Amino acid sequence: MQTLIQIANTIFNPIIKLGGPPVMLILLTILATVMGVKFSKALEGGLKLAIALTGMGAMIDILIGTFNPALQAFVKFTGINLPIIDVGWPPLATITWGSPYTLYFLLIIIIINVLMLILNKTTTLDVDIFNVWHLAFIGLLVMYYSHNNLLLATVLVIIVGILKIINSDLMKPTFNDLLDMPETNPTTTTHLNFMLNPIIMVFDKLIDVIFPFIDKFDFDAATLNNKIGFWGSKFAIGAYLGVFVGLFGHQSIKAIFTLAFTGAVILELFSVIGTWFISAVEPLSQGITNLVSRRFISKRLYIGIDWPFLAARPEMWAAANILAPIMLGMALILPGNRILPLGGIIAIGLTPALLVVTRGKIIRMTIIGTVVLPLFLWVGTLTAPFVTHMAKVVGAFPTNVSSSSLIGGTTIEGPIEKLIAIVWGEFGGNMNITSGLEALVAIVIYILVFIWYAYQMKKRNEEYKKNNETV
Amino acid sequence: MIRILAACGAGVNSSHQIQVAIENEMKKRGYDVKVDAVVMKDITPEMLSKYDIFTPISKPKLGFEIKIPVVEAGPILYRIPAMAEPVYDQIENIIKKSNK
Repeated sequence: MQTLIQIANTIFNPIIKLGGPPVMLILLTILATVMGVKFSKALEGGLKLAIALTGMGAMIDILIGTFNPALQAFVKFTGINLPIIDVGWPPLATITWGSPYTLYFLLIIIIINVLMLILNKTTTLDVDIFNVWHLAFIGLLVMYYSHNNLLLATVLVIIVGILKIINSDLMKPTFNDLLDMPETNPTTTTHLNFMLNPIIMVFDKLIDVIFPFIDKFDFDAATLNNKIGFWGSKFAIGAYLGVFVGLFGHQSIKAIFTLAFTGAVILELFSVIGTWFISAVEPLSQGITNLVSRRFISKRLYIGIDWPFLAARPEMWAAANILAPIMLGMALILPGNRILPLGGIIAIGLTPALLVVTRGKIIRMTIIGTVVLPLFLWVGTLTAPFVTHMAKVVGAFPTNVSSSSLIGGTTIEGPIEKLIAIVWGEFGGNMNITSGLEALVAIVIYILVFIWYAYQMKKRNEEYKKNNETV
Repeated sequence: MIRILAACGAGVNSSHQIQVAIENEMKKRGYDVKVDAVVMKDITPEMLSKYDIFTPISKPKLGFEIKIPVVEAGPILYRIPAMAEPVYDQIENIIKKSNK
């Protein structure tokens, strides 16, 4: 392990110093070629990643340039200090993929998955290569706080990585239930957002005890979504948040229009550039899947993909629609919050996990969602300096704005893991008994809650099995 | 030309992969298709009426009746060709029947 890390450090440190898109062009192309992808396809992927990084940088530049003056005025007139701009997940993903360490964490996670399959510790083959950025984000966060302690970062990534794969096995029967999948359907997901399940389950069990009757008030989620219509779409949200900031920042009518249209265009274009970046990683994903799946093709496997197959359930969207205004209101009054919801205001980092734990009980989803939202806002606030730093390192941040400008994300997946990463990073940066104990206690509690959750899920899965036999 | 609508959770990752895969495979099989990718929650009856085939990532519950043929395209995302094949075959069958 130590030598692996030393090799990684000696290779990556000088490369990282070059910084930015060209490095990732070279690295991604090489790695995809090594994985057996045709060179022209590999190069296409590398180029697209470099272009996506550059494009995200340009968008962030426009966003900050337009919103910063209005946000400062907003602070002045309202007294509400929310200087961090929420860019949502596509820029965060792109920025994280802009770091060579993400490729290193990817290799670690593939090795872990293959080992778990060989040792029969899981049934899941994870082909969702691109979402490794969530783990890489955690690893990089540890490194940021610990002055580059790669060993600590690697250990935490491995722990969360293993639990994530176990969780995808645990959730599989629930997916079959929620989406009417036949037993033969292999779809599951290792997505980090479901690592919030244990906490959500704690609250779900509390509701069982305190107000079991609230489920009677559940309503039809699809009807609500159809009523909301285009008001919940990206461009609409961007536009009315622009108006919101503009009005309370006492901007001119003309400036308010500019803010509204800029907010709308940025949120739309973040997604468009997000698709470039997805197709950038595509050749590598296919190459890795070809290599790994060949080995296990004779096994009965679950296949871990990105979470959006759950998007077919309307409850997920209804909860996101209801939570959006709640989050905005909360952001204005929550002590310690410094982030203004924008790109992440539709909480897709949260509602899929609510859906899985409550199995679509919309009132519970809303209540538990509201209870855990502060966690997301605080983590968004805490991680903003790191995100901004990363954006600068990979060349996706304007250099000509004041150093006080920060970007972050309000509904970043895996808020608990981010908090642990900060605690671990602080331990790495200042090793003493107190910081060591904190790091230890944090991870032990995290694992214990997960074990309790796994036990609950196994009970749930036994019930599914019994019901299937009686049908 | 056959117009196909793909849909997933963010309209960025999964539906985009479905879009590219269907376009490539149908071109290989000699059909002229145009695939768009959207977020599941943004779909309206009006939007769907402009397409010939709907290829959501999993079984959709939209709260209204879907009047065009539906093919669940999730298996494309497994990246294992043998598993994606039935999805393409289903789409091809629908195209053949529609005589467009």
